Amino acid sequence: MSTDLPRTTNAATSSVRSKPSFGDKLIRFIDHVKREWQLYLMLLPAIVWFVVFLYKPMYGLQIAFKDYSIFRGVADSPWVGFEHFETLLSNDQFARAFWNTIKISALNLLFGFPAPIILALLFNEIINTTYKRVTQTIVYLPHFISSVIIAGIITTAFSPTAGVVNTVMGWFGLDSIYFLTRPEWFRPIFVGTGIWQEAGFGSIVFLAAIAGVSPSLYESAVVDGASRWQMMWKITLPSILPTIIIMLIIRIGNVMEVSFEMIILLYQPATYETADVVNTWVFRQGLSSGQYDVAAAAGLFNAIVAFVLVMVANTLSRRYVRTSLW
Amino acid sequence: MSGVLLESIVKAYGNIEVVHGIDLEVAEKEFVVLVGPSGCGKSTTLRMIAGLEEITAGQISIDDRIVNRIAPKDRDVAMVFQNYALYPHLKVFENIAFGLRIRKESKAHIQKTVADVSEILGLTPYLDRRPAELSGGQRQRVAMGRAIVRHPKVFLFDEPLSNLDAKLRTQMRAEIKRLHKRLGATSVYVTHDQVEAMTLADRIVVMNDGYIEQIGTPMELFTNPANTFVASFIGSPPMNQMPAKVTRSPSGFMATVNDVAFTLPDNLNVEDGQPVVVGVRPEHLTLNDSDGTPPIPISLDLVEPLGSEALLHASIGENQLIVKTETHGDIDHLNSVTQVYAPPHLVSVFDAETGAALTGLRSQ
Repeated sequence: MSTDLPRTTNAATSSVRSKPSFGDKLIRFIDHVKREWQLYLMLLPAIVWFVVFLYKPMYGLQIAFKDYSIFRGVADSPWVGFEHFETLLSNDQFARAFWNTIKISALNLLFGFPAPIILALLFNEIINTTYKRVTQTIVYLPHFISSVIIAGIITTAFSPTAGVVNTVMGWFGLDSIYFLTRPEWFRPIFVGTGIWQEAGFGSIVFLAAIAGVSPSLYESAVVDGASRWQMMWKITLPSILPTIIIMLIIRIGNVMEVSFEMIILLYQPATYETADVVNTWVFRQGLSSGQYDVAAAAGLFNAIVAFVLVMVANTLSRRYVRTSLW
Repeated sequence: MSGVLLESIVKAYGNIEVVHGIDLEVAEKEFVVLVGPSGCGKSTTLRMIAGLEEITAGQISIDDRIVNRIAPKDRDVAMVFQNYALYPHLKVFENIAFGLRIRKESKAHIQKTVADVSEILGLTPYLDRRPAELSGGQRQRVAMGRAIVRHPKVFLFDEPLSNLDAKLRTQMRAEIKRLHKRLGATSVYVTHDQVEAMTLADRIVVMNDGYIEQIGTPMELFTNPANTFVASFIGSPPMNQMPAKVTRSPSGFMATVNDVAFTLPDNLNVEDGQPVVVGVRPEHLTLNDSDGTPPIPISLDLVEPLGSEALLHASIGENQLIVKTETHGDIDHLNSVTQVYAPPHLVSVFDAETGAALTGLRSQ
């Protein structure tokens, strides 16, 4: 037995259907919270963390536009508009710190970003499981060592008297160099240290992406006659490209945040010329000289540059590679 | 000949042997289907032919050349995978051209070959699309295009239609058959779907637990199954099988199932009192007597209408029985069925212990 049901045409339905109002959305959201309250409860600590440590401090950003005094407090300090930004832009030391940040970040992107990808590709080619695990553990280890200890190792390794680098150079008849006091050596040492410390651990993300590539793609390529090299270029790399793009966008977002502690630990006045970055400059201005308002302006400037960079990178990536963070 | 020869092929993973010395000869231009349940070794066998799995013992020859130690790319085979194995970042054209580019063929040759193959497979309008923008059937055609474009000696298909819905599977099955007719290439096809095997194969190889149970044409396997496994695997619904005891009567041998007698075919090599398994295909059981066969009383449990046909689920004692019959547009009369007839020449008899067929070869 069949039953004739009243039918509504699509056109009729779509003409009746309208965009839900804010009130509708709010009611729907509240219903959802009531229904899935356990999930929202689990989300709560993360939200609290964001509010306390990232959003509440934004209140203090206003001192970048005020003549701030710790005695008057944030609210009672007088407004000075963009005065601190003008001071910053006319300050030679800030300009140097800004360009140093850009140069170090560019070197980090150029050499530090591909390093974990190359490492992951190399790990993927190791067939012996034991050997693979041992090498992976060895390259992951530096990530778990404190920056202070890493800096100690680097200082010792590049020491002009007992350092392994100068010792090896001595074997070839080369004169000792006090690397950490020479501005031209700071960036290579800093970038190299970063790669040594983080490339292994950073490769985990790419290894996970490689593990997600269907084995049948490789099998199909093997039957088609592809070599391992060709498979790496034509299958592995394009398959993990979305992950690479996402990681690149995240990295670009952190371009102005070069490893602050490591620079503080490795630099000295003799190497400020190439080593002083915005964060170390802010640190010195804010804590050492007590110019909190100028330091806040510099920090805000930093954040705006990073925000613009990440927006541009995300937009370009979405347009040209069809992969983006949002 | 561009055939495939498997001699005493063994595959073991450590101490676990999964393929136990199988022999198979696939003739040039033949379409052979390996069929069997999951884990029977059919895909492993196919992958050994492709060179994706090393063989533990035995010898594989393709086109009269032993290929045991020859790399997959030099075996001149092409494989179509169950999940299509299409490169998601490449457009359809580049997916099809992949093998040719790897082999550094000229641009003009690639352009022409891909265009020809796309035309055959009806993919020309989709050459600029990426796999994610195609339907399941279109993706499967691209996977086949990638195999065809290289003009290999042997095509290997590893359950290529398993990911498609029933309707599309039927459609693609017909396309594969048409394509094989057109290209005439030697093909080895793996499936667990006996309907696919029956419709596509020149010959079917039924595998079970790493052994070949029977090799034959679809109708040979349907009519003369070598054992109870093949009898139950080939045919849908499977052959009814019931334990019985042979009794001799003046008119010949009978098999008794719960006091119900099945008249057995002539020329059977059985003895009085011998325990056997009697088998009758659901479509061979009739509701009307045609040649004086005694009726088989059944207890009807359920009538399953399929449109032009219906399945009667019944029992003889504790033995389940399925009868497939035409409905002629009405199933009401089927609800009152109390007996069926099993024409003796269509009754199979198997050894109760080994499961091997005792029935001689019958005409198809």
